[in-house]
Amino acid sequence: MPNSPNFLDIHAASFAYGGGGDVVSNVGWSIPAGALHCLVGRSGCGKTTLLKMAAGLLQPTAGSVQMLGKDVAAPSRNVGFVFQSPSLLEWRTVLDNVLLPISLHQTVIQADRTAAEELLELVGIKEHTNRYPRQLSGGQQSRVALARALITEPAGLLMDEPFAALDAITREELQDDLLQLATIRNTTVLFVTHDIGEAVYLADRVAVMDAGRIVFSADIDLPRPRNQTQRYSTAFNAACLDLRHAMTPTRRAVA
Amino acid sequence: MTRASMLSLALFVALLALWEGFVRLTGISPLVIPAPSAVLIVLWEGLTVGFLWPHVWVTAVETLLGFALGCAIGFVAGVLLGEVDFLRRLLWPYVLASQVVPKLALGPIFIVWFGFGMTSTIVITALICFFPLLENTLTGLQSVPPEKRDLFRMLGASRRQTLLRLKIPSGLPVIMAGVRVAIVLALVGAVVGEFIGGDAGLGASIIAAQGMMDSTLMFALFIVITALGMLFYQLTILFERWLLSSWMKGKET
Repeated sequence: MPNSPNFLDIHAASFAYGGGGDVVSNVGWSIPAGALHCLVGRSGCGKTTLLKMAAGLLQPTAGSVQMLGKDVAAPSRNVGFVFQSPSLLEWRTVLDNVLLPISLHQTVIQADRTAAEELLELVGIKEHTNRYPRQLSGGQQSRVALARALITEPAGLLMDEPFAALDAITREELQDDLLQLATIRNTTVLFVTHDIGEAVYLADRVAVMDAGRIVFSADIDLPRPRNQTQRYSTAFNAACLDLRHAMTPTRRAVA
Repeated sequence: MTRASMLSLALFVALLALWEGFVRLTGISPLVIPAPSAVLIVLWEGLTVGFLWPHVWVTAVETLLGFALGCAIGFVAGVLLGEVDFLRRLLWPYVLASQVVPKLALGPIFIVWFGFGMTSTIVITALICFFPLLENTLTGLQSVPPEKRDLFRMLGASRRQTLLRLKIPSGLPVIMAGVRVAIVLALVGAVVGEFIGGDAGLGASIIAAQGMMDSTLMFALFIVITALGMLFYQLTILFERWLLSSWMKGKET
């Protein structure tokens, strides 16, 4: 389908907070529908700001951001956003939290409840449906947040270091769940992380950001479906090393 | 019963015994310090014969009405100032100034406006309860983590939905802390309000007992006021637990 629009098109976009310098500077990036792209960078490199521009939470001060061929003027309900913290409502049950995107706009019907329960089963926490967020572990809370982002069956997911606070094993499990869900539903994903291994494991294509610019990008040609043993393969490690070098361009000569 | 609570009860009994012994041995005038036994007898008579009950009733009604009025207005004002930046910037200095004025100092003018009796006391009590609710509501609404605000924006929630389904429930623990402060202040407000302009109630009774130089009765009234305060406080705690029951789930740690 050569004419189908990309999920996301960012053209020469910049962003500056009132009075300050550019946090994001002249960035161009496109994500075809169904792809999984990772944006890697150190803290404060502007990757979260870029993600918020893609979400419509921030408006670019220059350039444009288009989603499915239309300018992003405000947050769209066609994308799910997963935050750094699970951001669940502690006073509502897991089921109510997953249904929140629906219950804000219409009466929840039985079909919605069934869909939510199916999602909770897919992310492996069906038995916690009627519990409260504080009764769950960090990994389980992240799973609820993922289910909540997917309940409206959005075309795309924007994810801001959603697994950064989890332990290594839980993080790997969630990465696998994310890959599986994105494949089942053909969901486009833009995933922001500071973890090189996570980026290589998840992505079709990665971009490295530094000081508000995209300084490096590469396709990751590892076979799919991915599995955790690939992490120890030569190709995987070579891809990681490339990214590592791209993240520290000035020290490259020294190393 | 835990060891600590048993010790604290033993301490109470020991202190009472010490007090009783001191009064009996020194023969100090009951006008200065009445014996605990005498206070208990007066208290018992007051409760069984019944002359204390109408005063308890008056003070309880004043406290609760003033508390309800002050909390309701404080909450609504907190929501308004929290939601409308312009109002907050416009009115905050006045709100603050009105709180620095000692409310009890306004008692005499309230008597001019509302007359002696319950109305003046209720107004003073409400005024005292207003500020903790206003301030805690404002703090509670503004303490919502930015990510959750962004979440509600992403989900296309209206301003009213964000207020009712995110900000107020999210701020509820802080708001309820304000309610707990208010209930304690409410009783103080009612009793002292009666000092100034009451013709009935426990505070007015203290002034009357002072006029009769009856310190024993005054001590008995202190006990009644303390008991009333503890009752109100415990009821507030129960209400808070009920209201925050889903908040509390999983908070054992």
